[in-house]
Amino acid sequence: MDVELSEILDTLCEYAPFIDLKDEPILQDMVKDIEITYLRAGEWAIAPEARNQTLFFIRSGAIEAKNKNGKLLRRMHEGDVFGSSSLLRGGRSSHTMMALEDSLLYRIPARWFIQFYSEFDSFSDFFELSREVRLKTAMDNQSSDLSLMTCPVHSLLRRPPITASHDVDIKTAANIMSNERVSSLLITENNSLVGILTDRDLRNRVVAKGLPLDVRVDMIMTQNPVTVDAGDFASEAVLKMMATNIHHLPVVKNGRPFGVISTGDLVQRESHGSVYVISDIFKQEDVEGLVAISQKMDHIFTQLVNADANTQMIGNAMSHIGVAFVKRLLQLAERELGPPPIPYCFLALGSQAREEQTISTDQDNALILHDRYDKALHGDYFRELSDYVCKNLDRCGYPLCTGDIMAMNPRWRIPLSEWKKTFAEWIEKPKAEALLHVSIFFDLRGIYGDKTLARQLNSYIRELAKENKGFLSALARNANQRTPPLGFFRQFVLDGEGKQSRTFNLKSRGIAPIADLVRVHALALGSNKLNTFERLEDIEEAGIMPDGRARDLILALEMIGMVRIKNQKNQIEEDESPNNNVNPETLSEFERRHLRDAFNIVSRQQEFLKYRYPGKG
Amino acid sequence: MNPKQLPDNWQEAFAKLAEECQSPALKRFYGAGVPGLDKPLEETPLVSLDIETTGLDPNKDDIVSIGLVDFNLEGIRLNSACYWLAKPHGPLTHESVAIHEITHSEIQDAPRLSSFLDEVLDAIAGKIVVIHCAAIERPFLYEAAMKHYGEPLLFPMLDTMAIEANAIHKPWWQRFGRQPSLRLDACRQRYNLPRYRAHQALMDAVSCAELFQAQVSHHLNKEHLTSEYDV
Repeated sequence: MDVELSEILDTLCEYAPFIDLKDEPILQDMVKDIEITYLRAGEWAIAPEARNQTLFFIRSGAIEAKNKNGKLLRRMHEGDVFGSSSLLRGGRSSHTMMALEDSLLYRIPARWFIQFYSEFDSFSDFFELSREVRLKTAMDNQSSDLSLMTCPVHSLLRRPPITASHDVDIKTAANIMSNERVSSLLITENNSLVGILTDRDLRNRVVAKGLPLDVRVDMIMTQNPVTVDAGDFASEAVLKMMATNIHHLPVVKNGRPFGVISTGDLVQRESHGSVYVISDIFKQEDVEGLVAISQKMDHIFTQLVNADANTQMIGNAMSHIGVAFVKRLLQLAERELGPPPIPYCFLALGSQAREEQTISTDQDNALILHDRYDKALHGDYFRELSDYVCKNLDRCGYPLCTGDIMAMNPRWRIPLSEWKKTFAEWIEKPKAEALLHVSIFFDLRGIYGDKTLARQLNSYIRELAKENKGFLSALARNANQRTPPLGFFRQFVLDGEGKQSRTFNLKSRGIAPIADLVRVHALALGSNKLNTFERLEDIEEAGIMPDGRARDLILALEMIGMVRIKNQKNQIEEDESPNNNVNPETLSEFERRHLRDAFNIVSRQQEFLKYRYPGKG
Repeated sequence: MNPKQLPDNWQEAFAKLAEECQSPALKRFYGAGVPGLDKPLEETPLVSLDIETTGLDPNKDDIVSIGLVDFNLEGIRLNSACYWLAKPHGPLTHESVAIHEITHSEIQDAPRLSSFLDEVLDAIAGKIVVIHCAAIERPFLYEAAMKHYGEPLLFPMLDTMAIEANAIHKPWWQRFGRQPSLRLDACRQRYNLPRYRAHQALMDAVSCAELFQAQVSHHLNKEHLTSEYDV
């Protein structure tokens, strides 16, 4: 007798974790062991204190999970499974499960669960108890081996390096280059890399200057060039090329030259224009040119996302590009207004300072003036300079800051000593309310001009903030004001109190809470890092958080950031203007599941923040 | 006794038929009695049964498949599920093929109903049969038994269609527009039950058992005796 239960089997196999087992004949045996139960809304699937012996699959309806204290944990619907954690604990259940709607449940006996759990990795991965491990496994499985971001630099090299000794003359070097048909030459001394010579160097430093050809090559080469290690990810190479605006990057292995990668190599690997954008920006002679480039930013961003870049990589690239716009505008402004009468430093704040920009972020900037500043003498110059930069940034796709945190606001264009007073005020007499609006100033990076001004201010802030408990506790309270959602339920995003909404902001409910709480720890630690990932590495090293928790936050940030970036990419492709609002209906099951884990990690770290930086209020 | 004249007292009728019937299978079936009728609904062993046929006339048309599954108010145990295909005597009509999707080739090698009717009786013996639309299923089973044993097959049923009709019944002065549908799928949707592909005897039996569970939790009292609800 062939029992015809294929309909039930088919339904199970539409959902994880069964979808991965759908070709396993043993699944048919399991289906024959299912018991089907109907529950009315309000009836228990797992009552308080009850022992659980089955894995539940929700065929229709909805189930609500609460903990012992009655706190809402999650809501589940068609296709979700529950009961696994009590099965893994031998039947003891720490949560209750109640039907939220009339529900039809398939109950799979524990022995099948135990058998699949030990036999199939995909099955046990799915039920991994620790959401940290679950998230890590998911993230590891996401990255593809072929992408630029995960392939090692040496896999891009097409030939061994062409080298010349540092003491050969220019003519010999040029001959080697033309015989070997290369546009760059690695210069060595005792087999170690000491420099690089490019076609452009020959043009600019030899021909244009009328140098004799018997000059030694080490007189004109670029000394101690930026290099990349053969084992580094190709993405490292892209970043270095962008950051330094170079087109040939020597590759070394154990200090010895190993090859050269050029922008061309990366472009062939379906990289993209982003390597070129920065040099293009610096080539522009007027604002119109910059505006034209800014119109390609959507495209560049999409390419980066499609190339499987991770969020750290994209944040880095987008920030470097953003900074390049600022720098070029300042150069153009100085060209128009004349050289600055006193030294100044232009500051990036917030996400640009942390190198975590994405597409379409408001500008947040400020300006430090040298203490020689005299308003009567210099006021007009810096007002015009700041106006020029901020207004033109707006034209280049970096909208004016609605909170008016910009260099064009005279309040944020002050001499170093006044900056110090301002920060001293914030730190020594912290008022949570006031701090809320200025937390962004604690992520501050000098990007143009006299960067020692920014360095001085940063070290002043670090010293002052480090041991100031009242300040840290006020900042911690602020960091906990924006909380992540609990998870998702059907087309809704679900909050702790059971509130359901159609859309939510991934920046304010996910990214910002992480950046905020990490900033508190970083300031407490006196870390000089700005990037959240790098801050987390410092925090981990310092042992501020319990073991492994900093790693978990890195994963959570990567997960939330990835969804945000993909969402923005999709918005661009749909011809919408990219923002941070996500409609849960557009999320995949994978994303919903792992976002939930990521949110949970963030919530727990917010709890930890309260405990670590206690204070009144 | 026939499908149109049902006994008033099933316990007595079963005892009498157990005496009278000659065929061993029917003797066993009636011998097991209907203990469930005198128990509360929640303690009654139930079996959900569905048949697919070549048409609607029990005198001319044949049963082509039977599906059944044991259950109670706690749950439906799929490991008790049974399913049989039967080779009909007459040809399959296009209409019936379109409904239950059982094709000529599938049925060609199937056994005759007579070869497994004993098994069906053993599977439902001692339990209360739950069915959607007793008015069709009962005469077909009766005719099948008359054909193969020359003796009647009658038993009490819980009919999800009758329960539904009762539950949604309104006096004529409150009725408004078209009467709500009593088809299995339509009934299920009132209880938030999922949609299944209809007309496969085993899935329809499962489907009917689910509906019965839902109806009990919404409309019946599971502490009341089963005999209050049977037809």
